[in-house]
Amino acid sequence: MTFARGFAAEVGKGLLDLVAGWRESLIQMITFPLFYLLIVLFMGRGQLRADLLLPVLLGMVALTFIHEQVNRVFWSYLGDIQSGVLEQTYLTPLPSAASILGRQVAAVISALPTALAVLATGATAITVQGGRMPFDAQVIVPLAAIVLGTCGLALILCGLTLVFRRIEIVTQLSVAVYAIAGGTLVPLAAMPDPVAALSRLLVPIAPGIEAMRDILLGGHSLATLPTGWGLGWLLIQPLLITAAGVLLFNRLEHLAKRRGTLGRP
Amino acid sequence: MIEIEALTKMYGSAQVRAVDEVSLHIPAGSVFGFLGPNGAGKTTTIKMLAGLLTPTSGQVRLGGFDVVRQRSAAMAQFGAVLEGSRNVYWSLSAWQNLMYFGRLKGLRKAQVSERAEDLLSGLGLWERRDDKVGGFSRGMQQKVAIATALIADPPIVLLDEPTLGLDVEATRVVKDWIAELARELGTTILLTSHQLDVVQELCDRVAVIRRGRLVADLPTRELLAGFRERDKYEIRIEGAAPAGFDAVTREGVTTMSVRVNDPREVYDVVERLRAHGVVLESLTQVQPDLEDVFLALVNEASHA
Repeated sequence: MTFARGFAAEVGKGLLDLVAGWRESLIQMITFPLFYLLIVLFMGRGQLRADLLLPVLLGMVALTFIHEQVNRVFWSYLGDIQSGVLEQTYLTPLPSAASILGRQVAAVISALPTALAVLATGATAITVQGGRMPFDAQVIVPLAAIVLGTCGLALILCGLTLVFRRIEIVTQLSVAVYAIAGGTLVPLAAMPDPVAALSRLLVPIAPGIEAMRDILLGGHSLATLPTGWGLGWLLIQPLLITAAGVLLFNRLEHLAKRRGTLGRP
Repeated sequence: MIEIEALTKMYGSAQVRAVDEVSLHIPAGSVFGFLGPNGAGKTTTIKMLAGLLTPTSGQVRLGGFDVVRQRSAAMAQFGAVLEGSRNVYWSLSAWQNLMYFGRLKGLRKAQVSERAEDLLSGLGLWERRDDKVGGFSRGMQQKVAIATALIADPPIVLLDEPTLGLDVEATRVVKDWIAELARELGTTILLTSHQLDVVQELCDRVAVIRRGRLVADLPTRELLAGFRERDKYEIRIEGAAPAGFDAVTREGVTTMSVRVNDPREVYDVVERLRAHGVVLESLTQVQPDLEDVFLALVNEASHA
């Protein structure tokens, strides 16, 4: 019960931060959809081509989500470390998992408005072009895989920032790599095999994007996904990344307590 | 009750000893002053006490619970205002901060609300409870940090520089609170401050750390008494001092320092002054304050 209170407090604080930073959120809700439309325009040589709108949209929604979720939870950690508040959050009888889980959930919720703005923009553009925005309930599975895998990645980056300085460079770089090699804009099937394999192995959003395209564009079922490594990998990959995140965070938290880096200027 | 046993912290491959075999026993309901110059190992000790830093060896027990092995039970006993850090979220209001930290300590919403109202009213922040802490003065922010430390009503409280940046009135409020917490609620308080007059006024016992080692751990009175200069007196007279006396004159009042081998020799000095027709204003035995004692201890240790 006390765990639930700590968790709820953390989620509540994250949502208060979201409300307090509504201007920044609004700017993101405008720039990311614009970014999406520009990419489709460039790819379509100046035209919003109907055959590009949906595939790019699926990748862009996932990319927007991972960018927002990872950055929000990462910067909240880094900011708390540098200001010294993080140490105060450790002076509680609750395990740090309550706080970490709460931060992750708050970041997921906070990432949704921008991701949904991209989705709404894409759906509108598709409708305007005379197309139809497809929906299949099976898409929930890859979406859930993306959310889980993203949380795992965020845990790894937050763990690293407990111990090492200048980790923000790694965070920015990793999101940039996912944009290029995560199958967001260019499908993994169109990439060199080793790059595609590495992406499917390590990028939290890659199997999810492939599965969403197979379901919504190809009309395939979850059980018969033709591209990528199938349903099994779609489910296992985010679990492995999250497990790695939990283990690594735990180890790095212990290391931070040994080195005294939980609070540093 | 706080028990620290042979606490040691070594850093880096060079195994630098930041804290070296420090042992302290702080009884329940006492106000304990923990002093040390910058870099002496004070903050390292405090962080180990708060479970934020893992000791290389030794043990810390809060209310009988080991901070490392029984962290949850130990932290349930503990609240802290940490020096040099923000302690609270500037983007949240005072009320939101107390609700957040109270629930993070496992309290129910209703419990936190009641306690938060008491604390904010007592610290004179009730009217500003919905304002963002970032817009507060340094003193008001410090008050919110103190309220946060006390939100779960912990039996052990660490106050690291609690009066830093506070004006005279706010300092008085905080000092009264500390005294009241210990006296009426039996809270054990570990206090660190560079404002040694605050420590002297509040603390039952004082420990001084220097280069990672304790150089003193005594009741405040005993510590001061140990440094009392029994042979030194200060005499204030009107006008100039007669020849042969070591004196300083400021704004028409002359202060003379007199050293005697036996307190009874003071009568002879007074007799000599009377013979010169000097009018006495006051005569006092020189009493060291905690600052004198602290400087003496720190310098003594550094010369050793």
